[in-house]
Amino acid sequence: MLKDIFKYSTVMGAMILPLSAVHAGGHSTSYGPFPVTLQGYSGNTDNSVSYSGQIARHILHDSLKVLAGRGNGGDNSDSLKAEMLSYFSGSDKNKAILAPVTKGAFVMKQGTLNEISSGKNIEGKFYNGAMMAWPGSMKGRDVAFHMIERAAIANKGVDAENGYNWPQLISKFTMGAMAYSQAVDNYLDEKLEANTKPNNKPYKDGKPYTGKEHVWDEGFGYFGAAAHTLSLTADQAYGIAKRKDMASADANGDGVVDLKSEMVFGPAYYAAAFDRSGTKSTNYLSTIMGAYMDGRQLITSAKGAILTDAQRSSLKAHASIIESNWEQVLAEAVFKYAGSTYKDINKMQEDGADQTKAYGAYVKHWGELKGFSMALQSGRNNLGETAGTMNDLILFGPVTLDNSYVTGVTPSGNFKREKRMTWNDYQLQLLKVQQLMVNKFAVSSRVNDQLADLGALADKLGAQSEAETD
Amino acid sequence: MEYTSILDNFLSDFIDPKKRIFLGYLGLSIIIAYTWLILVRQSPLRIAHYQIFNRKIFFSKSAQIDYKLFFVNRAFSLLISPLLITQIAIATFIYYVLHRQNMFYSGQFSDFNKTFVVALFSMSMFVADDFTKYFLHRWMHRWPLLWAFHKVHHSAETMTPITVYRVHPAEGILYGLRSAVTQGIVISTFVFAFGNVVDLYTIIGVNILVFFFHIAGSNLRHSHISIGYWKFLEHVFISPAQHQLHHSIAEEHHDKNFGAALAIWDWLFGSLHLSDVEKNIIYGLSESDSGPKTISDMYFKPFKDIKRILLVYFKKIQRDIFFSVD
Repeated sequence: MLKDIFKYSTVMGAMILPLSAVHAGGHSTSYGPFPVTLQGYSGNTDNSVSYSGQIARHILHDSLKVLAGRGNGGDNSDSLKAEMLSYFSGSDKNKAILAPVTKGAFVMKQGTLNEISSGKNIEGKFYNGAMMAWPGSMKGRDVAFHMIERAAIANKGVDAENGYNWPQLISKFTMGAMAYSQAVDNYLDEKLEANTKPNNKPYKDGKPYTGKEHVWDEGFGYFGAAAHTLSLTADQAYGIAKRKDMASADANGDGVVDLKSEMVFGPAYYAAAFDRSGTKSTNYLSTIMGAYMDGRQLITSAKGAILTDAQRSSLKAHASIIESNWEQVLAEAVFKYAGSTYKDINKMQEDGADQTKAYGAYVKHWGELKGFSMALQSGRNNLGETAGTMNDLILFGPVTLDNSYVTGVTPSGNFKREKRMTWNDYQLQLLKVQQLMVNKFAVSSRVNDQLADLGALADKLGAQSEAETD
Repeated sequence: MEYTSILDNFLSDFIDPKKRIFLGYLGLSIIIAYTWLILVRQSPLRIAHYQIFNRKIFFSKSAQIDYKLFFVNRAFSLLISPLLITQIAIATFIYYVLHRQNMFYSGQFSDFNKTFVVALFSMSMFVADDFTKYFLHRWMHRWPLLWAFHKVHHSAETMTPITVYRVHPAEGILYGLRSAVTQGIVISTFVFAFGNVVDLYTIIGVNILVFFFHIAGSNLRHSHISIGYWKFLEHVFISPAQHQLHHSIAEEHHDKNFGAALAIWDWLFGSLHLSDVEKNIIYGLSESDSGPKTISDMYFKPFKDIKRILLVYFKKIQRDIFFSVD
């Protein structure tokens, strides 16, 4: 009897061991390494994952944001503009990483861009469709150049007169116009078609990855999540982006944070931020990350063969999950900052309020609101009427201290403020922005929900649909 | 829906402290009734017991109709309530409208003391709710088209706490809308003025004032236990006996005491009648009102009455036109 048990357990053990190995390899919690599946590959690399170009662009974006706040009101405008453009449009030089950089015990492995990837820029990957949200009827890239130009002449990135906070506007717009747009409108869209970058050929001659593997990896890179995101909570991912949680960031335990795989950048940071706040009812980060992992595993499982139609349609289903959740994250951000801006207006009107400080916060939050609303319009979907309504409600610029707001730009790029609006009217428009996000994008984290108090009181009182008649 | 959950739904009011027939309130009403009968009316326990649990009342034809309506109306409300406008829709609309004026800005008084704001909100909600109940109730009596529906309630010839549900569904809708509008207005104006400081003082999840109204024996209003208050108090709060008088067929009691909890509205608008607990009151409708008698009458007779009223009205208009042409 004992002998039998021993025999069976040995057999079972022998069966389980390879299965668990497959499990570790096939359903790893980390995005990479993934094996080389390219047929006929003769190099010695054993990892087919590569998305360092996208990480470089996140860093270019973060660094550009830092620069956008370094203006001194005009004196350094030419040099600052040139410096900003060297990050936006690219540079031959090995530029320093201005953000994210080491903060206390949160030590970064890399300090220059070429340590990540050389020759990258934002401009070439920037949404260039019409951007009706910005005055002047410009295309996406021209809007970015316009913002950079204005940031260079501003004082610490703020144009108080017109109500613009350039670091926020540039950063949030770029998060959509580069990262979101490239991922959902390029890599996870047309590049998933059968005749584009097929899986039975290298992405480029000599590369260790197939066409589809690299397309998917690049799509993932734009999301800006750490490779080990599936083993992180939203709080931990948030802590990494904030450079506070070294223990969670340092996945390989080498004492430094590898920006190429261990850092959390903008889009993933916001997904985590909404999961851990508001109603705490969303799972944007793990849903998007899970879809990226599933898609990558599907491609890997094809073992270098051309993807069948069924496999590609399954891949597109994963892409669709990523796109819809990412779009919701941007809508959550619009919702949140519409609420912040609303609250800031109240603060500005309070007796004894520090006007300058309150207005500064208002302009900053409005910049985030506007930037995210522009990001939302940079995706694959033409938002049509929703975009028009959103732009009309948010306006080209915030209502400023004399109640005027930007209505257009002159041919030389200066802003015109030819209309006025009361604070109450503008607050109403911000409420409608929140309502629009709920109606059109079903946002459910709803941070800074300005109608939540009404709902909570109504719930507390309870409906009286059945009459108690006297 | 499972059978058990349907049953749950039908009986949920008995375990919901927001409802008048919550078992806790019913229990307290029984205690109040005993206390009143034994201590104030000096009734022997046996008589008090008989009066409170009078089988002739609880199993009367009228009461049986009440019980049936309770269930049938529940089914109606399950169908109708999702279609009605909610207090949150109204509150949001008014909150938007409040942003259209420029005298005040939202949250202008958010630095007020929280205790004060919460007390003011709880009080305002209660008073506004009671005030709108008074007026709707008054209109239900004064306007013939509404009276056609409200007669269903007044056709009760015996009264038990379940009589509160002896209502035509059309009246249920009107009361539901009244509640939604009242809550919508009060919630939105308070949130606009005081921001997120606004809250409700509650006991077991119920507005504290509504809770006191219920534990003070609100169920005895629809009963045969005639509890009156001191005269001065009956100018402020409607006593059970005052409401019972409202159900009286005696002509001098018609269109009196429309109030729910507060008597001040009746006092202010001339419809107050103090109680007379010595007087034997007969509940129901007078002969001329020809109230509904059967279950089917309860639902369809109001429409027949309305048709008759409108026909008379149109004939009158026709006649007026005819005469004016002459």
